[in-house]
Amino acid sequence: MKTARTFALGLCLAASSVSAQVTPERLVDAAREPQQWLMYAGSYDGSRFSALDQINRTNVQRLALQWVFQTGVRGRHETTPIVIDGVLYLTAPQNHAYAVDVRTGRPLWHYERNLPKTMSLCCGPQNRGLAALGDRVFMGTLDAHVVALDAKTGRVRWDVAAADADKGFSFTGAPLIVKDKVIVGVAGGEFGVRGFIDAYDTESGRRAWRFYTIPGEGERGVDTWKGDSWKRGGAPAWVTGSFDPELNTLYWGTGNPGPQMYGPNRLGDNLYSDSLVALDPDTGALKWHFQFTPHDVHDWDSTHTPILIDETIAGRPRKLVAVANRNGFFYVLDRVTGAFLLARPYTQVTWAKEIDANGRPVLVPNTDPSAEGTRVCPSGTGGTNWHSPSYSPRTRLFYFFSYEQCDMFMSDEKLEPPYRPGRLFIGSAFFPMPAEKTETAVRAVDPKTGTVRWTFKQFADAWAGVFSTAGGLVFSGDGQGNFIALDADTGRDLWHIQLGAAIQTAAVSFAVDGRQYIAVVAGDALFALALRTEP
Amino acid sequence: MRVTNIVMRSALAAAFIGGLTFPLSGQVASPAVPQAVTRGAVLFRQECMFCHGVSARGGMRGPDLTTGMWSHGGTDADLAATISRGVPGTAMPANNLTDDEISEIVAYLRTLQQPTAISAGDHKRGENLFFGTARCSSCHIVNGRGGLLGPELSTVGSARSRAYIVESIREPGRQLTQNRAFGDSIASKYDTVTAVTSDGRTIVGVPMNEDTFTVQLMDTSERVHSLQKKSLKSLRHEDRSLMPAYDLNRLSSSDLDDLAAYLQSLRNTSSAPKGGSRENR
Repeated sequence: MKTARTFALGLCLAASSVSAQVTPERLVDAAREPQQWLMYAGSYDGSRFSALDQINRTNVQRLALQWVFQTGVRGRHETTPIVIDGVLYLTAPQNHAYAVDVRTGRPLWHYERNLPKTMSLCCGPQNRGLAALGDRVFMGTLDAHVVALDAKTGRVRWDVAAADADKGFSFTGAPLIVKDKVIVGVAGGEFGVRGFIDAYDTESGRRAWRFYTIPGEGERGVDTWKGDSWKRGGAPAWVTGSFDPELNTLYWGTGNPGPQMYGPNRLGDNLYSDSLVALDPDTGALKWHFQFTPHDVHDWDSTHTPILIDETIAGRPRKLVAVANRNGFFYVLDRVTGAFLLARPYTQVTWAKEIDANGRPVLVPNTDPSAEGTRVCPSGTGGTNWHSPSYSPRTRLFYFFSYEQCDMFMSDEKLEPPYRPGRLFIGSAFFPMPAEKTETAVRAVDPKTGTVRWTFKQFADAWAGVFSTAGGLVFSGDGQGNFIALDADTGRDLWHIQLGAAIQTAAVSFAVDGRQYIAVVAGDALFALALRTEP
Repeated sequence: MRVTNIVMRSALAAAFIGGLTFPLSGQVASPAVPQAVTRGAVLFRQECMFCHGVSARGGMRGPDLTTGMWSHGGTDADLAATISRGVPGTAMPANNLTDDEISEIVAYLRTLQQPTAISAGDHKRGENLFFGTARCSSCHIVNGRGGLLGPELSTVGSARSRAYIVESIREPGRQLTQNRAFGDSIASKYDTVTAVTSDGRTIVGVPMNEDTFTVQLMDTSERVHSLQKKSLKSLRHEDRSLMPAYDLNRLSSSDLDDLAAYLQSLRNTSSAPKGGSRENR
């Protein structure tokens, strides 16, 4: 899957003058066109890796700003741009979307959505990006619609309601195109929704299938929920999944069961919350599932981009899927069967002694939330969160953002409010321990063993994903505005630039007119960087 | 009975700040009808707690709501507007609540606030201590007089309770630690930082800012230093304030009363003191 990636830049650029529509074939072969950034994670394997190497360890010091695009929208920008044939498409909070000329940074169009005055959003009006197919780009919206926009004008081609936003449903993640369908996962795990992953026909907007992340009446697994708690059990799917074209399998992470800190009313494993589900992308049928945190009471959504890796384990070549999980463990599964292969902690873990041979956590007693508060590591934010991880086929290391904190988890039966549609339904709260400092880091893990190979510590409060390149670089950012290039082998910092506002997403790369660019959003702006041309 | 329960439990949760106090704090009088407070507590748990924490002491996304400091206005109407409309550009959303529900939440929040009653001390004597023998003004500025190293205290009487002021004098490091845990970026501004440069100079001060690669600090002579971490021999953060603890040897109980009375008299003319907010992480 990765062998096609070693293309010289010159060869890639030959194709860039050919303005073609995005086809399903181009998406499958995204690694053959590293001058584009065709989807959220760059390619279907979720690796957020660029085969471009014009910018590399030896010259990264010459990286310099080329242009800036200011969205002018306030709020946390968690968007990943996509780049197709000379045009960059990005989103901003409140479902703004833009097309920008990559040569100049000048906008070509701007889509602005008329959103309801009040919306049930747990964590702000974020959007994480677009998907593209044909002459259209697609966005999931905060009011739980899916829209298709004309890629040349931004005009609405279709707009369908997926669910009732008044009941707490929303979309914040970037959609994924598979063949002729646009696939979206819903958010709303804090509002007692019943989560789902939807597929819509890209041409008509008609819904092709829906996979409920919680089994319904009479379905297998519904008995993992006490009573009718499955009806408002959460398990959202708010981060973009991955796809293996050869296996024709879609891999998607699911979020917390609800209410997330109060478990007595939903006793049982609560399938398929905090899981990775493997689906048939043509029908939405479940092929297998793996649950990372059965009956979670610490808000450890497993909404991570799963990375598909081909690697030899114990002398046997295997098709793997790797996840650095919010619960503090790094997992590797067989992506054909879902079989558990390994799990190792990558941060401080106090809730489980280990993960047993079947992939089930061996729990430490008395770690559930309590009225007085229970200290547990990792925090409710998790050892990592939604932030994009990256895998480099050159270093064969898995890179990810790591959040080092323990929380006090509280839950109190006497004050549990009843479920009300569209209202928060979370069963209490968590907050940091007084006198304990939060640390953030970029970590590199060997997916063959799960061992941490290096750690780069940032100053407090980083909230950025990571991105790796064939130039031997890993890019990340800190909460104070530094955009940072690390040596992919050692984690040593090689270069940084102060962009003036926190970086809260991951970078991408593309090339135009023979120049490789690195693009990243900091604050309300997208910054495009390339090597300084010699005088 | 139920109210008592709620308060008891919240007090447990907030035990480290000294619990809760009835009745209301000074700024605005909401009619604290017990049933309204109970309903407000349940609503708070449903609508607000995820961000602001169980006891409203602040959480991962929202600031502490018990300090009496309101970044977006502190009257009942201001609070209702903030709850209803949200704060654009931050994680604080607009909320689809009825006016009654909002006033119940406000009533509940009022029960959590620290009292700001004026203490019994002599504030004139306190002023003399502040600018004289207690040497507070060597680091703290009040209405244009004093040093730059510590927080300005010109309106501290509006922003902080007497209990907070007393604790800050007796145990200056304590609030730093607690506030940092709740994401108050102000707190880490008054840590003690010691940098040793490559040529062996030691600089002790408070950080003005810091990131992964650099630190900017003000030393005890109010000189500002911009330092590259890689060029330093060492950089040490300490979870303590540069301010000495004014224990009984340094400051008698009656002097403390006088000083607290002076600080409490330093009030903002506006009812909406700024500060304490942490937005958009």
